[in-house]
Amino acid sequence: MKGGLNYGRNRKMFLFVLPALICFLAIKLIPAIMGIFYSMTNWNGLNPSYKFIGFENFKTLFTDDPDFWNSMGFTLKYVLFAIVLMNFTALLLAVLIENLHHGKGIFRTIFYMPNMISMIIGGFMWQFIFTQVLYQFSQNAGFGFLDQPWTSDSNFAFAAILIVAVWGGAGYLMVIYIAAIQGVPQTLNEAAVIDGATPFKRFLYVTLPMIRQAFTICFFITLNNAFQVFDVVYSLTGGGPGRETQVVSINIYEEAFARNNRFGYATAKSTILFLIILIITFIQLRVMKQKEEEA
Amino acid sequence: MGATKKIKIGQGVLLTLLIVLAAYALFPVFMALLNSFKTKPEMFTNIMALPKKFNLENYIRSFQKMKYLTSFLNNVIIVGVGMSGIVVFSAMGGWAMCRTKTRLSGLLFGLFVFSMLIPFNSIMIPLYRIAGILHLTNSTVGMGIIYIGLGVGMAIFMYHGFAKSSIPLEIEEAAHIDGCSMFSTFFLIVLPLLGPITATICIMNVLWMWNDFLLPIIMLQSPKNYTLLLSTNMLFGQYSSDWPAILSALVLAVIPVIVLYAFLQKNILQGIVDGAVKG
Repeated sequence: MKGGLNYGRNRKMFLFVLPALICFLAIKLIPAIMGIFYSMTNWNGLNPSYKFIGFENFKTLFTDDPDFWNSMGFTLKYVLFAIVLMNFTALLLAVLIENLHHGKGIFRTIFYMPNMISMIIGGFMWQFIFTQVLYQFSQNAGFGFLDQPWTSDSNFAFAAILIVAVWGGAGYLMVIYIAAIQGVPQTLNEAAVIDGATPFKRFLYVTLPMIRQAFTICFFITLNNAFQVFDVVYSLTGGGPGRETQVVSINIYEEAFARNNRFGYATAKSTILFLIILIITFIQLRVMKQKEEEA
Repeated sequence: MGATKKIKIGQGVLLTLLIVLAAYALFPVFMALLNSFKTKPEMFTNIMALPKKFNLENYIRSFQKMKYLTSFLNNVIIVGVGMSGIVVFSAMGGWAMCRTKTRLSGLLFGLFVFSMLIPFNSIMIPLYRIAGILHLTNSTVGMGIIYIGLGVGMAIFMYHGFAKSSIPLEIEEAAHIDGCSMFSTFFLIVLPLLGPITATICIMNVLWMWNDFLLPIIMLQSPKNYTLLLSTNMLFGQYSSDWPAILSALVLAVIPVIVLYAFLQKNILQGIVDGAVKG
């Protein structure tokens, strides 16, 4: 009797889940599984027939593809800098705004605005700033130091990418930090004032520990996004000069769609990227769980 | 007296810092707007100067070249299809799995949650292949359907959590006693109650789909199906270094999101916080 009832409930539930399940299977799960298979083939976009070649792609990848590992190295460098700079800027903005007596709203609006703009458009706009505006500044206004090879020297291009990435990404994190700061009980701050704590000490010993959770969230958001960064690099430097600022996702994209059409091989690359992100996510879940247990 | 003076100085310092940072945030958009009305020689003479007259030629040319209305409409179709699918399908699924405590529902829910870990980059190539087989490539409706598949995992997770914590079971039981089927209970009673989380999900997903670049550039081949971003990207290549013309295209591409932001600013900021904390 109970089994029968359950069967009926399961059937109804399943009908409700079905539309989502079909889309999800076709678009996400099946491609993910097929990806593992394709990564072991020599499939290329031009030739309809392909054959199974085992771990050959991975062997080539690990022994004979310096471009991929360079792009991986550059991505790691970017991830590191982006996490620090974005979170620092976002936290600074949040603290400054929350300490302001008048005009909080307008500044919050301004700083979040770049996040509404696609980083493709943002990257193009900044390319204009770097190649045209700063050049004219240096010539006409005497700011000679601004005349730098912003997109044609690898170090400056890296700096340019970070400037634009922080411009586009800090506002998002700022909103999360502001919400966290507003969640700190007022009584704690008042108690600290009575004990004679300076604003800086209050920030260090009251606010910062209280917004730990927001910090963890923002850290992993930036980590995940930075590892998959594409738009800003594509529109600002295109991975150049040469391949010096090429990130992993551009490397994969080019391998598959722009240069070689080596779909099987590109899939092997994306499998590696997936494994890296999977490891990060498991660490994230573990850290989050630990934090919850502590709290 | 001393204390108030100190506070005033502190506020002044804060304000100065924030204004400098605000200049950083607004500078590229401001410069783009300023120079988009100029002619090329005018820009090269002085990039900071106001345009002599508000010359709309660049805008008219870009508007036509990027087939603005078509591109805009393509964006609307993609987001419209994607959004309605994500909301309806995920709400149905998330609620049903939340209310049915069987092994199957747990398994399905686990599958959706696990899928949130799969990054887009790692499925894009096989997805391109499958989308081709299903005739979803080079079609705006097809793009919307792909977004449904990519978006339901996260949305189901959020609906599931919201139904569990914020929808009283008593209401549904009352509806059941009054003779509502599961179907009408969902559409007449539950779906309206899911409103707050639906707003959050809409904001997150609309922004994502509207500004997404990698998926459309892979999937959409003919310019008549291009989104605003793809048209802008194409124009950027064509104009080579005619910056005033490029800038007018960039401004045109940005207008829809800025208008959206102007009207829904509060909701967007709230949606971002809720989405980040729950997702």
